[in-house]
Amino acid sequence: MEIKAKLKDGIVSVKAMAKHPMLTYDVAAKQGLEANFITHMTATVNNKVVLDMSTSQFLSKNPIVKFTFKGAAVGDKIVMTWVDLKGDTETSESIIK
Amino acid sequence: MERRKFLSFGALVAAAAFAPVSLSAEDYRKIKPDAWKAHTVEDAIAKLYGSNTLIAEGVKITAPDVAANGGAVPVDIQSDISAKSVAVFQTSNPESAVCVFTINENMVIDYSIKMKLKQSGTITVVIEGIDGKLYSGSKNINVALGGCEG
Repeated sequence: MEIKAKLKDGIVSVKAMAKHPMLTYDVAAKQGLEANFITHMTATVNNKVVLDMSTSQFLSKNPIVKFTFKGAAVGDKIVMTWVDLKGDTETSESIIK
Repeated sequence: MERRKFLSFGALVAAAAFAPVSLSAEDYRKIKPDAWKAHTVEDAIAKLYGSNTLIAEGVKITAPDVAANGGAVPVDIQSDISAKSVAVFQTSNPESAVCVFTINENMVIDYSIKMKLKQSGTITVVIEGIDGKLYSGSKNINVALGGCEG
């Protein structure tokens, strides 16, 4: 997962991209595969939740999410985790610049 | 232990390891599973929030009028409403729900996502205010090349 987090005027803007095929039920059926997509994504800074997103199959492949929050400083660590339909999970972290 | 059972046991352990995060995070797929199976926006909103009474104000949606590639249509959502959650729906795909954000006091409602749209349709964003009311906005998008086949 690629994460870029930047503080400006007290607000942190984050751009994150998760690497995931986001295979819908329709496409999976056509290709004889099992559907699989990210179902939940979270981000935390200093143990505070700053992104809490339940997702469906209709986010794009390798979904990009941009979000904003307050109450963090330059140098704080942002930790992001996603989990998919099969239960696979990935956690990445980055430092707020 | 059978391999299958062993693997699912592993998944449980993994879930337990992430429990501190999920304690303060809400998974709407687990809380409201029916909302994700609904085929119309009205039905999905009713299943998610228990109401269909929408106030059409306070939600800004920015998206292209014509999307060349339905596989990744950029949609920006902004609002100043003090909210509990933000939900995104559309009429272009077999099911309506795209995602639900849970909002807390640290968060600013300024999101950008990229979504798949199989055909032209309407995106509806519903914001659940802390006052319990549902605010909404919508935007029509024409899709030149559908995005569910890729």
